[in-house]
Amino acid sequence: MVNADGQLYTIEGFAASLIMLITAFLVVNSTSVYTPGDAHISDMQLEVTGSDALNMMTYVTNVSPGGTVGKSPLQEIVEKGDNNRFVEMFDNLTNNKTGSNRDRIQFMANVSYVKSDGTVNTTTPLGRTRSLSGGEHTVRVTQWLIADAGSPPGSSSGLRKRAVLVEVLLWRD
Amino acid sequence: MAGLRDDAQWIVLMGFIVSFSLFFLAIVINQSTVIGQTTAESVAEFPKNDIRGVREVIILDTFLDDTSGNRTNVGNDIRTLSLNRKNTVVSFTNSTSTSASGSYTVGGILFNNGVTEYKETWTYRE
Repeated sequence: MVNADGQLYTIEGFAASLIMLITAFLVVNSTSVYTPGDAHISDMQLEVTGSDALNMMTYVTNVSPGGTVGKSPLQEIVEKGDNNRFVEMFDNLTNNKTGSNRDRIQFMANVSYVKSDGTVNTTTPLGRTRSLSGGEHTVRVTQWLIADAGSPPGSSSGLRKRAVLVEVLLWRD
Repeated sequence: MAGLRDDAQWIVLMGFIVSFSLFFLAIVINQSTVIGQTTAESVAEFPKNDIRGVREVIILDTFLDDTSGNRTNVGNDIRTLSLNRKNTVVSFTNSTSTSASGSYTVGGILFNNGVTEYKETWTYRE
């Protein structure tokens, strides 16, 4: 039989050293406290939802039998400035879920294009479900499209096609 | 503690082992948030949708007819808007050649937003 007189002292020594190590670990670690909200996982998912929705709106639905390709819903919306249709369509694409419950995604969209004097116009709204109050944590998704001559409404040089960037800010309330 | 009854040493030892293993499991759970963050940030940082979007519109622009300067103007719009709204330098060219097997278009796209650089050469045969 081994002499076991010192066992409890050894255990006590281990316990004391571990307690000190753990204290040091907690103190050093406490400068960075991550919560799931900091981890941007929900941002990533929201961005995917938003860019998928915008992408779906660029698919042309009215291809005629002769092969003529019509305009995509997003192009029609931008060219006519049809904000109500944008809000309805984008809201359904992002918020519809199986069953009767809807998601809580809110958005605010606008359109950017280059004006005839070469400056960029960013203030044309394309509709929103809520106004931004400044406290929201938003993600931004964009979609390019080529609009026909004279569009969007109000652009001064009407005689040529233009590249338009649809920008949407998304958040959950 | 000399002279005390030491019958319960194993119980004390097991108690320590159980409590410290619980502590280390808690550390593992704590780290999982950080791992999720690393993954989500690298996904969010890589401009997959930006590259896809600008690539699509550049190739659409290439096949616009150039009546009333459509193709040139839309191309300039893309460069200006990329720089202004997406903080991205975009450069692209294309040329169409005719060979014995038919005509084909070769285009180049450069995309640089300061973090990610993307280069592409694409070919389209009529």
